[in-house]
Amino acid sequence: MTDGYKKFTIKMQKKLVVLVIFVLLAFVGLAVRLVFIVKGNATEYEKQILSQQRYDSDVLPAKRGDIVDAKGTILATSEKVYTLFLDCAMLNGTEDFMEPTMAALSSVFPELNMGEVRQFIASNPRSKHYVLLKQLPFDRKQAFEEAAKEDKNIKGVFFDDEYIRKYPENSVASDVIGFTTSDGSGLYGLEEYYNEELNGTNGREYGYVNDDSAFERTTIAASDGYTVHSTIDFTIQSIVEKYLYQFNEEHKNAFREGNGAENVACIIQDIDSGEILAMGSYPTFDLNNPKNEAGLIGANLITSEKNAAGYDILTVTGTAINESLLAGMTDEEKLLNLNNLWKNYCISNTYEPGSTAKPFTVAAALEAGVISPGMTYECNGYLEIGGYKIRCHNRWGDGVLDLQGAIARSCNVVLMKVGQALGTEEFSRYQNIFNFGLKTNVDLAGEARTANLIYSAADMGPTDLATNTFGQNFNVTMIQMITGFSALINGGYYYEPHMVDKITNSNGATIENIEPRLLKQIVSESTSEYIRQYCRAVVMPEGGDARTGKTARPAGYAIGGKTGTAETIDPETNKRSESDYVVSFMGYAPADDPQIAIYVVVDRPNAMHQDDAKFATGIVRNILTEVLPYLNIYMTEELSESEMAELQEKGLSGTYGLSEKYEDETVSDGDAGKVINQTPNVTEAVWKGFPIDPATGYRVDPETGEMYDAETGVAVEGESAHAVEDVPVNGNIIDIESEQSEN
Amino acid sequence: MSRTSVKSRNFRGIYIDYSFLLVVFFLLGFGLLMVYSASAYEGFNKFNSPTFFLRKQAIAIVIGFLAMVVVYFIPYKLWDKLHMLMPIVSVIFLILIKTPLAKSANGATRWVEIPGIGLQVQVAEVVKLCMILFYATYITKMGNTLNTLKGFFVYITPGAILSGALWILTNNLSSAFIVMAIIMIMYFVASKDYKFTFATLILLSLITALAVFIISKMDGGGNFRFKRIRAWLNPMAYASDTGHQTIQSLYAIGSGGIWGKGLGESMQKLNGLPESQNDMIFSILCEELGLFGAFCLMALFAILIWRMVIIANNTKDLYGAMLVVGVMAHVAVQVIMNIAVVTNTIPNTGVSLPFISYGGSSVLFLLIEMGLVLNVAAKIDVRDEA
Repeated sequence: MTDGYKKFTIKMQKKLVVLVIFVLLAFVGLAVRLVFIVKGNATEYEKQILSQQRYDSDVLPAKRGDIVDAKGTILATSEKVYTLFLDCAMLNGTEDFMEPTMAALSSVFPELNMGEVRQFIASNPRSKHYVLLKQLPFDRKQAFEEAAKEDKNIKGVFFDDEYIRKYPENSVASDVIGFTTSDGSGLYGLEEYYNEELNGTNGREYGYVNDDSAFERTTIAASDGYTVHSTIDFTIQSIVEKYLYQFNEEHKNAFREGNGAENVACIIQDIDSGEILAMGSYPTFDLNNPKNEAGLIGANLITSEKNAAGYDILTVTGTAINESLLAGMTDEEKLLNLNNLWKNYCISNTYEPGSTAKPFTVAAALEAGVISPGMTYECNGYLEIGGYKIRCHNRWGDGVLDLQGAIARSCNVVLMKVGQALGTEEFSRYQNIFNFGLKTNVDLAGEARTANLIYSAADMGPTDLATNTFGQNFNVTMIQMITGFSALINGGYYYEPHMVDKITNSNGATIENIEPRLLKQIVSESTSEYIRQYCRAVVMPEGGDARTGKTARPAGYAIGGKTGTAETIDPETNKRSESDYVVSFMGYAPADDPQIAIYVVVDRPNAMHQDDAKFATGIVRNILTEVLPYLNIYMTEELSESEMAELQEKGLSGTYGLSEKYEDETVSDGDAGKVINQTPNVTEAVWKGFPIDPATGYRVDPETGEMYDAETGVAVEGESAHAVEDVPVNGNIIDIESEQSEN
Repeated sequence: MSRTSVKSRNFRGIYIDYSFLLVVFFLLGFGLLMVYSASAYEGFNKFNSPTFFLRKQAIAIVIGFLAMVVVYFIPYKLWDKLHMLMPIVSVIFLILIKTPLAKSANGATRWVEIPGIGLQVQVAEVVKLCMILFYATYITKMGNTLNTLKGFFVYITPGAILSGALWILTNNLSSAFIVMAIIMIMYFVASKDYKFTFATLILLSLITALAVFIISKMDGGGNFRFKRIRAWLNPMAYASDTGHQTIQSLYAIGSGGIWGKGLGESMQKLNGLPESQNDMIFSILCEELGLFGAFCLMALFAILIWRMVIIANNTKDLYGAMLVVGVMAHVAVQVIMNIAVVTNTIPNTGVSLPFISYGGSSVLFLLIEMGLVLNVAAKIDVRDEA
């Protein structure tokens, strides 16, 4: 070939062969390298790979079940929310993806800082999980997916889902419902007690390669939690909370800075089943934001100190938390006070019940047969027991009283005499029968133990018995009191109190029906009838002018009940406090066909003179005025002009129709009620001579400074005011917090 | 010329090196199989189709095959006449990378879309082919001046400029390196002695060793290349980021053992190993088919290279032989570099495995080069050999 092109010479051919030998040597070298990687490492690397396999597994979160009220109103629910994240690696896969995706993101999610997003993508081009936004609702996710359908170049945007807990009614029934921690377990209330039922089982979704090397995806669906149907009625609960709130509004900062009372609480129970229809206390908190510290303002500051034994001793100070105090608090202190806020007063706090215990004492004595309904007792103002002079609230004495009069006027002396007839042994046995000292096992988390807050027969002395008969010197919880009282009223049938009557699965199928659970009969039907009669006299006119509970009666209805004004123990001196009282009213309605029981406790009202049961009866009256018509209970009593005006003002005029008698009767209000008890009031003449103090509206004894109701002459210190001032304090009764740490 | 010789020339005119072609087909088939196996999972996840990557690769192979047939029928001496076009085409593509026609993927701008047909080509592949074609002519033109020092620099300059441009404009050091390696191998074969080649090799080795030493002593900093070198020296220390791919690659190779887990049984392709259908496909092959499969593939490449040596050595014409040497150098360098990367023999750099890795441009240009080789083989004058 001589066409001008040079030849590929033999030398070049040789060099090419040399080159190929080098190439082949390189191949051999790499082959040896491969052998070394495999040799000895195969098993270890295999394990490594297996250990890092994820099989693309995803957790499918289960939905926590709802909590609904008796009418199906949702009190707590779980909402699916979405986390938006970017797969930067996919987005960078092709240039075409970037701009349309960025445009779609910024138009659907205007809150995104697109500059920041681009910056992140540029500096982390391989990131697979760049979280942009959290807790997006479904409609926003959908909005983006709609936008993404328009342009197939929108890529690399994904959503993860999770559930968050929502409480549509915010603070309503906050103590009862409780809340959940961020990891979805319940704290306090129904959320904690029914945690297991509410929590579902998470599902899984995973990809794998099957025997035919094909990719497959398998899903084990999540099983959602059960729905808990509470016996709480949202409407009744709202009425209760409205008036607890109103009480606070009326009394806050009245005497000292702070809330209207240390605590004000109410329970309404179905008398024939133990079902709780409403349970609330003030202050409440927002379930959607339980850590909101604003809820602490107005409550008394709680401090914690370690005692010698190393236990934390909590002290409720007399100082109310205000904004400046809150700002100076540490997180630990805040949590301590929040814990107190989250606690359900109705089941977790104990206190001395005071005179609301009197019906129990009388019922025990009647049941034991040591007294008979016709017996009368004389009260001359005090009774001397065990060397102590224990006074009645009425220093001049109530004169001769029968049992009805004693309950209606809340006479301590009569009750002490009844107690003496009963004896410590029987009294203690009946306390046990009435469930005092025992848990009620209500289905809520955090019920207090009271076993060592009552006397046993062995260590009960005569003065202990005497003070116990009128509800001092032993501690109870509200739930114990109302459950026992329901049983006293309903014929003696003690039902286990409960908050939940049904559990259904996520499809609505019933998993469990919780029927009313009758535990025991605590008194006979006839005793119950006497107690109903006596308690009716507390409120209704047959109890006489000196009856203590007439202010609790709602317009148009007859109810029964018992007031209570209990002394408290000053935590600093461990002696009877001169100024601090727990006032309460425990009632049932309607009086002639009891359907519900109501119990209101006002713990240390914010007033100069706390010992006035009207703090509680006013709340009861307000609540029942709305609740009874709501429950379609007919009015039985005539309405006075002022009562009609009041109902009209409250927008309840429609409830006249509930009164079957109203249209027919023309008898005016006034003396219509028959006054059965005409026991002379020996003090009448005395108190009527006292001048009326213009500041309080009470008649004041110029010699002693004691005050009397201007109309009835009832001493406004309350039934047991200063009655037991000399009696030693029950050493068993200690603060509830420290009690829980013992045995 | 007698009638028989005309006939025989006609016969030779359609001569095809079947053993060479068979190896190419075998590699392409093997490549498709591995691309499907390695990409099915990712394809399903990202594009909802396990065959997404397989289909794109198959289309590229069909286009590449047609291109190969066309090139096969074009007498290679035509390219000799057009040699001055080659640097110009390279420059044009390098300029296009800075125009709106450029396309990015995975954060790097290395593609140019040819308007009208929507075909995206990798600029580096264009430059590689153009340089092979240009330097084959350049060598024939330079003749004996190649063997002088001045000649060596004259020889190396155009390639060095274009490689430098390729490196800077596409931020693709490995492609620039491959271009220079091809040029140096062509020089090595064409030059009379070994001195300049070996001098260059020794110089490069010294510089590299020094650089690696300095970088290994540095605590941090530098760009991603510095980091890759540190990750190469101690992949475990960088297992969470730069060393991740290398470690996963070693796991894949190691866990395959001698016979492998079986075709399609790789676990590393399920998210463990990034780029499993691309630069890291050899690891997946090792995992699924074991050392046995890896050695078979390397043997195939060895046969392919050996066939090209036979063709070159039978081509008395320097230009044709240098074309074949260039193509052979291209294939050999990429195979060696790719396997060296997946076995962590050299620092991690993106080099695809010829015929096997997913990538349309790569397979298209490789098949064009195969067309060239087949054409050269077809023009071998058998009579001279006899």
